Amino acid sequence: MSLTSVSTASSAKRESRRQIGDVIFFNLSRAFAVLTLLMLAGIIVSLFIGAWPSIERFGFEFLWSKEWNPPMERFGAAIPIYGTVVTSIIALIIAVPVSFGIALFLTELSPVWLRRPLGTAIELLAAIPSIVYGMWGLIIFAPIFSSHIQPFLTQTIGHFPLIGALFQGTPIGIGILAAGIILAIMIIPFISAVMRDVFEVTPTMIKESAYGLGCTTWEVVWNVVLPYTRAGVIGGIMLGLGRALGETMAVTFVIGNSNFLSSASLYEPGNSITSVLANEFSEATPGLYTASLIELGLILFLITLAVLVFSKILLLRLSRQDGTKS
Amino acid sequence: MITLAAQRKLVNQIALAMSLMAMAFGLFWLIWILWTTLDLGLAGLSANLFTKMTPPPGASDGGLLNAIVGSTILVGSATLLGTPIGVFAGIYLAEFGQRTWLGSATRFINDLLLSAPSIVIGLFVYAIYVAQIGKFSALSGVVALALIVIPVVVRTTENMLKLVPNSLREAAYALGAPTWVVVMRVTLRASAAGVITGILLAVARIAGETAPLLFTALSNQFWSLNMNEPMANLPVTIFKFAMSPFKDWQELAWAGVFLITMGVLGLNILARVVFREKHKL
Amino acid sequence: MIEEKILPISEMTTVLKPQIQFRNFDFYYGKFHALKNINLEIYERKITSFIGPSGCGKSTLLRTINRMYDLYPEQYSTGELLLDGQNILARGVDLNSLRAKVGMVFQKPTPFPMSIYDNIAFGVKLHERLSRTDMEERVEWALKKAALWEEVKDKLQQSGMSLSGGQQQRLCIARGVAVKPEVLLLDEPTSALDPISTTRIEELIIELRKEFTIAIVTHNMQQAARISDYTAYMYLGEMIEFGESEQLFIKPKMKATEDYITGRFG
Repeated sequence: MSLTSVSTASSAKRESRRQIGDVIFFNLSRAFAVLTLLMLAGIIVSLFIGAWPSIERFGFEFLWSKEWNPPMERFGAAIPIYGTVVTSIIALIIAVPVSFGIALFLTELSPVWLRRPLGTAIELLAAIPSIVYGMWGLIIFAPIFSSHIQPFLTQTIGHFPLIGALFQGTPIGIGILAAGIILAIMIIPFISAVMRDVFEVTPTMIKESAYGLGCTTWEVVWNVVLPYTRAGVIGGIMLGLGRALGETMAVTFVIGNSNFLSSASLYEPGNSITSVLANEFSEATPGLYTASLIELGLILFLITLAVLVFSKILLLRLSRQDGTKS
Repeated sequence: MITLAAQRKLVNQIALAMSLMAMAFGLFWLIWILWTTLDLGLAGLSANLFTKMTPPPGASDGGLLNAIVGSTILVGSATLLGTPIGVFAGIYLAEFGQRTWLGSATRFINDLLLSAPSIVIGLFVYAIYVAQIGKFSALSGVVALALIVIPVVVRTTENMLKLVPNSLREAAYALGAPTWVVVMRVTLRASAAGVITGILLAVARIAGETAPLLFTALSNQFWSLNMNEPMANLPVTIFKFAMSPFKDWQELAWAGVFLITMGVLGLNILARVVFREKHKL
Repeated sequence: MIEEKILPISEMTTVLKPQIQFRNFDFYYGKFHALKNINLEIYERKITSFIGPSGCGKSTLLRTINRMYDLYPEQYSTGELLLDGQNILARGVDLNSLRAKVGMVFQKPTPFPMSIYDNIAFGVKLHERLSRTDMEERVEWALKKAALWEEVKDKLQQSGMSLSGGQQQRLCIARGVAVKPEVLLLDEPTSALDPISTTRIEELIIELRKEFTIAIVTHNMQQAARISDYTAYMYLGEMIEFGESEQLFIKPKMKATEDYITGRFG
């Protein structure tokens, strides 16, 4: 203030213009930050309002009712929720070990000259649109899957106790298992790129200490690198899980789009939340049908939010544990 | 009984062999997918693709002109709409909101939005826009895609601005520059390459997005530049054509997939080059 | 010390058993010739320190003794390096068991992301199958050797990363000792520590000499003079002078060594 009072009139004018500029700038950037913040609330509120007729009509029963009958206006989310969850689990079961192997290869095994090109290739593959995976899955993969892989699985794993039942039935290619596999192929580049990044930042000295004790490469990675990077690894897996849960195109093409499940077999065609939405939404009649579909979307959003928030909390607790000083 | 040393070696060898197999397994699928895309996509490439409209079922001499133009308009407009919002929100997080309540909340929410399923974004725009207006339109598609652009740009802008050394900021402030000049002329410029990389990656991401367009821009078999009408676009056209039983449509779908894949890979490579150029300086 | 000096010469030589011998040893980082024709003996149950300006190759030399350089494809060596009379550079040498015989401690503490107990037990489990009680005894033994037992005996299940810097470094020494190696390599073990922790580690090193052969790289000449029996001065990849520490620091044979230790270097 004292500065302005001794300044000349013109510089005072410039001073105030400068302050106005800063105020505008600050508020503009803050407004857009608030906008981002409001988007989340906006999504939840608008989906909730859109889904209200269905929520009001079916209540919690919507979550476990298996019926999906548009002409009779009876709707339940059990089949799509099952499809979403099971395909994502299959995808993780395949993708996590494979991605770990790829990250191990890229950081410890690969010749140095191959590391960069292979790593870049993996990163680029993560960018390929999911519709490519879906279309490939439907037209190229599914026929081969039904003629070669499914009969093989039935004859081998199909005879195992307990899990054998999952691999029984008519091999028609498209179905829950095929969708899970396509999802796995799609998320492998994501998870392995993250794992490779975190493996790479493990301090050399920690690794050398383990080698110095006489560890083999595997022992170094499994006992030292993996625990050291667990937060990042979990983050990568959760990223992949989020992708798998919310993926539309890679699933819609190959899951079979059936709202009936007659057995526990993974060969059965099914539906995921996203595939139901993709197939039925633009043709749904307004009213209860549309509201039920929007409620499905709301459920999907809440599931992915839960996964993300859970992983954030987990990461926070992990980093706190590591940071504790006695 | 095998010795401990022999057992450890064996475990190590098995593990490393499995790692090699995992790499081969991953590459096997990905190369197969890329190869199919190249093979069938190149087969479908022709002058018709870029000069003719999408054909009705059964017609054999169609192209993807309306879908290509439509996609370009949708992606371009969404980028123009989403980028400034994302950049400003990113500036807020990096320059003003480092330790404020609003800053941490926005950062957290932005992370969530970054991983939100894109189909949910489509539903959201449907609920707040399409359902209110009563019809599908290109504009609603633009809004949906912009909502996907924003979190990506926010994240990269913030990260890139945070990389700018504080000494640079202090030097600019020491000259008596007001905040907005410091940010726009100094820090943002210093991190320009990184921010542009982020924008390019965001464009690459929405170029292939199908799900958010299903309930917004829909698609259009005909030529239309009206932003208030459904607009043709590559992803939804591919979806429709690939699921159809018509051979001509499927061939066009492969050509479309080829175009999108090349476009997205090209954008990603461009982003890398931009970023590397900056790091050379 | 006085006792040693009155021993007859013949007895001196039997006490001084060379455990590690470098013979015409050369080392390369790709094309860079980092160690040039090294000939050197490191004696059993003595402390040998390596001094010299940064980049002189002292750490490189240390890292050849457990063949740590094998992790990096572009690094290689020629000549002979004998441990207990066996050439460890020969083909078919088992690196895992070599490293069980040669422990190493680094510039900075490197606790593994596991409990204090597991940090010690981890290395032992690699090489020996021990019962639970034997393992507990071994962990206690190693922690006592590293003068850390009293401080951590009540919190063995806490993360090794929760200790202070000096404690972490002693944990790393205990981890190396627990495997019962013959040789301990210490690569500037106190460079990241405060003076009090440094003193404790130095006392510990002198104590450990009773059971282990110790090779230590240090940037601190006083430290080398304080704790080591033998000292090697290196410069630009060459071994300039090697001898008993007392002699090397008080009456160096070479002019270059004298310049370095008196600070008239360069």
